[in-house]
Amino acid sequence: MVELKIGQEVEMEYGGKAKVLSVIGSGGQGIVYLVEFNGMKWALKWYDVDKIKRPKEFRKNLKDNISDGAPSNKFLWPKYLTKENEDGTFGYIMELKPASFDSFVDILNTYKLEVDPLTGRATKRPVRFTNLYAMVTAVINIVNAFRQLHRSGKSYQDLNDGGFFINVNTGAVLVCDCDNIAPDGSNFGIGGKPGYMAPEIVRGVAKPNVQTDKYSLAVVLFKLLFRGDPMEGEKVVKDICLTESSELKHYGSSAVFVYDPEDTSNRPVRGIHDNVIKFWRLYPQYIKDAFITSFTTGLTEPNKRIIENEWQKMFIRLRSEIIMCSCGRTNFTSMFVKLDDKTYRCPKCGMQFSSLSINHLDYRIPLYVGCRFFECDIDRDSDDFLTVSGELVENKLKAGLLGIKNTSEKIWSVKFPDESVRDVPPGNGFPVWPGLEIDFGGGVQAKI
Amino acid sequence: MSNGNKTEKELQSQTDFEDDLLDFDDDDPLSATGVSKKSLVIFFLIDTSGSMRGKKIGELNTVMEELIPEIRRVGEADTDVKVAVLTFSTDVSWMYAEPISIEDFEWSRLRADGVTSMGEAFKELSSRMSRNSYLNSPSLSFAPVIFLMTDGYPSDDYKAGLAALQANSWYKFGLKAALGIGSEANDDMLAEFTGSKDTVVHAYSGGQLAQMIKVVAVTASQIGSKSMTLSDERDDEELNEEDVYAAKQKLLGQQIQEFVNNQDENDTVSFDTGW
Repeated sequence: MVELKIGQEVEMEYGGKAKVLSVIGSGGQGIVYLVEFNGMKWALKWYDVDKIKRPKEFRKNLKDNISDGAPSNKFLWPKYLTKENEDGTFGYIMELKPASFDSFVDILNTYKLEVDPLTGRATKRPVRFTNLYAMVTAVINIVNAFRQLHRSGKSYQDLNDGGFFINVNTGAVLVCDCDNIAPDGSNFGIGGKPGYMAPEIVRGVAKPNVQTDKYSLAVVLFKLLFRGDPMEGEKVVKDICLTESSELKHYGSSAVFVYDPEDTSNRPVRGIHDNVIKFWRLYPQYIKDAFITSFTTGLTEPNKRIIENEWQKMFIRLRSEIIMCSCGRTNFTSMFVKLDDKTYRCPKCGMQFSSLSINHLDYRIPLYVGCRFFECDIDRDSDDFLTVSGELVENKLKAGLLGIKNTSEKIWSVKFPDESVRDVPPGNGFPVWPGLEIDFGGGVQAKI
Repeated sequence: MSNGNKTEKELQSQTDFEDDLLDFDDDDPLSATGVSKKSLVIFFLIDTSGSMRGKKIGELNTVMEELIPEIRRVGEADTDVKVAVLTFSTDVSWMYAEPISIEDFEWSRLRADGVTSMGEAFKELSSRMSRNSYLNSPSLSFAPVIFLMTDGYPSDDYKAGLAALQANSWYKFGLKAALGIGSEANDDMLAEFTGSKDTVVHAYSGGQLAQMIKVVAVTASQIGSKSMTLSDERDDEELNEEDVYAAKQKLLGQQIQEFVNNQDENDTVSFDTGW
């Protein structure tokens, strides 16, 4: 392949030159360099055109993607093409990943290697979500990004753990490697990454499309939550050596989900798949059911795979069902004792939590200091799962008095402990009490 | 809490549930350890006989030191890559007593002396490529990468050693490549080891040696540490076992040949002149 040299200048398609500063990384189709162009720093992906099946069509598709623009700001989208060299080589530039984001690969490894440039010695730096909210928010963001992409009529094609950067403090997500994205139905030669590929691709009977993306998305979500491979259990480990033919079998023609309720032959193995065994019991049934559907019926019936909007609703619910207890225990309501329909108790310290029901949601939101409501909770037409509309806080003047603060832009109508109904404008709050009723407007009401 | 209205059965099931919940030291959804990985061992078989002395072993040591950081990232989140180095001259010996994780591996510089006991090396390798020895990962493994580097002809009966290796299934499924250094190395013999000519390369000079070692080692570990993308070349026809047999070894051969064919012959000072 034609590698670029440090200091070399590459001509851009519409004029100007990008100067190569250093190597950022390399992948299956080429090398990514740090470059300077128009006084700014960018990432340049430079292709090994020998590894691309139909380079002309591939370049044309990239060009189309650039002119269509990114589906949202969650994508590190190609910005400008370089000129094509005489030998057919070319590349494109995109924005750099901000330093506050870590790669999904490092998150799965739980550390990243930092290499001393002088000695070449590597030290491990931990990479973990700092809170459960951030982790579930990352899941929602990933699902939402693919919903936006698929709505624009395109498929990602080789969805895998190398395709995301995540901020472990906030759950913000950036989708990278967007160069194989193509209109649904087209494919320019990429098959995908094993373990993430839908079984019909592994078997050779289909090419990547929106439906195979959905399978890969389920694998990505499973890996993020359960930290293991959904198809690697006892049946696969028995093979000892994963040869090409065992791969075809276990990921293609006879794949079995590790928690298939009808087929127990491939359960996770203690000592190898401890994460999966531990985390599977923590999650509520509706989450487990979605993965069961994805990896049983969804293995052979692409149209029955979970659609992004369903995932999104489920994970918005899961995030609302987190309880952060003052004793330090943070978990989903599925791991708290349910005393009655409205009340949860922490099994560790005994603290009790009541919950709020909102009329357009079919679940209750537990109340604890720091819990948040989002725009999509208080407005039934809203898709906004990031804007905080309300938060449960302790009264600053009266310690121990808990209340909800209106952080939205609307005036709410709230029933107070003296049975009076008052307006609560943005920035104001009201106490939480057993008879609490809130009217958010637009027909959305909540009560304890 | 009041249990006044509950039946005994309800109380019992609640107690069971609470027992489960009481395991709260180990129920943090964020307390993950790294994902379970497949393991891959890369075996380097290196000729350290007297004829390697001087520039050849010097080049080799340098390139190996540089190579280790380059293959650190190939495993990503899927594969735990380990390295084992077997040297052979009059005797055969391992650089370390067991395969070492690529992240912790430090190259210890080799010295050259003695004759070329390659057959012995094959036997030793075969005895270690076993579940009871070096390939003892409890989880899944990929077939190993085995990379042989030599500058001459074996001084012992290599055929007996090779026969032992060929009976070993890890070898059979493994990714094999060989590098002949200088003009004394015998490509036919090396092809016997790898199973095909495609995966045998030759270096006649220092520049080539460094390049060949890097290209072969990096390509082989990339292919070896990942599952195969099996279906790229085909059109909507169900794959069977035969279609995928030794697919990785074939891919390695293809990629090495692509590289070799793209090389220009501008390297001037050969290993066999100017001593």
